[in-house]
Amino acid sequence: MVSLAVRVGGINLENPAILASGILDENGYTMKRVLEEGAGAVVTKSIGVDERNGYYPPVVVEGNSYLINAMGLPNPGIENYGEEIKIASNGRKPIIGSIFASGVDDFLRLGTSMEDFGVSAVELNLSCPHVRGFGSEVGSDPVLVRDIVKTLKGSLKIPVWSKLSPNVSSILDIAEAAVESDALVLINTVRAMAIDAETRMPVLSNAYGGMSGEAIKPVGLRCVYEVKKELNVDIIGVGGISNYTDALEYIMAGASSFQIGTAVIKSGRGVFKKITEDLEVYMNNNSIERLSQLVGVAIR
Amino acid sequence: MINHLKIERKEVNTPTVSSLYFRWDRKVKPGQFVMVWVPGFGEVPMSISSIGDLKCITVKAYGDSTRKLIRLKEGDFIHLRGPYGRPFSEPEGDILLIGGGSGMASLRTLIGPRATGIIASRTSDELLFSEEFEKEKRIEVTEDGIRGLKGLVLMGLDQVNVEDYSCIYVCGPEKMLKAVYERIRGHKVRAEFSLERSMKCGIGICDSCSINGYQVCVDGPTFSIEELGEMTEFGTTKLLSSGRRVQI
Repeated sequence: MVSLAVRVGGINLENPAILASGILDENGYTMKRVLEEGAGAVVTKSIGVDERNGYYPPVVVEGNSYLINAMGLPNPGIENYGEEIKIASNGRKPIIGSIFASGVDDFLRLGTSMEDFGVSAVELNLSCPHVRGFGSEVGSDPVLVRDIVKTLKGSLKIPVWSKLSPNVSSILDIAEAAVESDALVLINTVRAMAIDAETRMPVLSNAYGGMSGEAIKPVGLRCVYEVKKELNVDIIGVGGISNYTDALEYIMAGASSFQIGTAVIKSGRGVFKKITEDLEVYMNNNSIERLSQLVGVAIR
Repeated sequence: MINHLKIERKEVNTPTVSSLYFRWDRKVKPGQFVMVWVPGFGEVPMSISSIGDLKCITVKAYGDSTRKLIRLKEGDFIHLRGPYGRPFSEPEGDILLIGGGSGMASLRTLIGPRATGIIASRTSDELLFSEEFEKEKRIEVTEDGIRGLKGLVLMGLDQVNVEDYSCIYVCGPEKMLKAVYERIRGHKVRAEFSLERSMKCGIGICDSCSINGYQVCVDGPTFSIEELGEMTEFGTTKLLSSGRRVQI
């Protein structure tokens, strides 16, 4: 009997398609709707200690096979976020609280609040590529990463996931530093920019942003494969997944589950349902009962 | 994909509102919008206020980007992406358009011989596109009362029988939309409202403009009266730039 249910990073999911952080997950009603329309779980927008407006638009640039964004970590601040989690929890599926901070103490404070709000796990944003002092600036320092993960693992009862950046010289070094996490989420966006030739200007108000979408899938696959080949840790694949084949490729590279973000632009919120239905057909046709049978099968 | 389009004609509509006309080889339907980039200043959503051979945006100066935009001249270029959003349904038969302030800009493409307009604004010199309605199908309402009826938009609604129309199209500040909604709810008439919320991406991913889990930029900006009826946030709460929920 085919089942899409997976256990990953210390939690159970009825299907492996998770909404990636930063997409449609700032407010509770939207997260609830995404869950109702088929996602197995949602990761919240990254929440910090203080309220932030983010950058002023343009915050996105759309290409044929990619999106570059520099939202600038907009968020209502952790104190205002409990209400959103409460609304989203009516979706009756796991909510993973994404948090960003510049150091151990703030990460712990945010993680503790998220736990109090009732999330199923926290995802540490160690990888946002476009805000000074946060994200990948924290996540490219293995000593700091080890310290943050160790502290949160030692203090929180809920699982801790670490979302890592591909914008480092060795993803394996950072993954090793974060290996105590219940899961590694690979990858965040690839640092990028867009120039408009007509006006001779960078398009994003912040000039630099992070690239996502189909074009970065090969980078994501490489990171998942490279890490799973060396480390015994659950991996959640993310980066350019827009159909079930993309998801299978990530699973075969070593991911136990996957996240979807940019594909929502072309396929809408229905993308989660579509991909999980297609996966189920694939499993039936190939006599695969559990996706876990396929995790890492491509690794040589 | 950013389109660079030359301003063919500029029209001053009111002391604070101007329209910029440009040639753009794209099919645009009534109610849709574009994201207009003002390099160095920002990017703003604007409804398309003319969909013929010449397309048009109607700009009200209220922030850095729009103040810059409204100063552009014929021959200058505008930069935009789109069109985005779910359009209004095709009008058929007699229709009623209710526009508050610059809200009439997104309804303008529906103006025709069978359209009656309730045109509302705070001051009389801000009445927008009123003269584009047939003379006998124009109901002006202003708070200063120098032109038209003195009062709020509902006073205009008192002048018509809403069930005489095949559809009512409404655009303006959300408080006004809510007031109109409350008034016409329960009547036997179709109605569609165009919502305005703080919008950033325009393509349905950033969650800035969401209302009860719907993204105004892709699921809207037009919503039917039935859809609004299920939205507890309509007319009550909205999201700030940070995503913090506040009372309207």
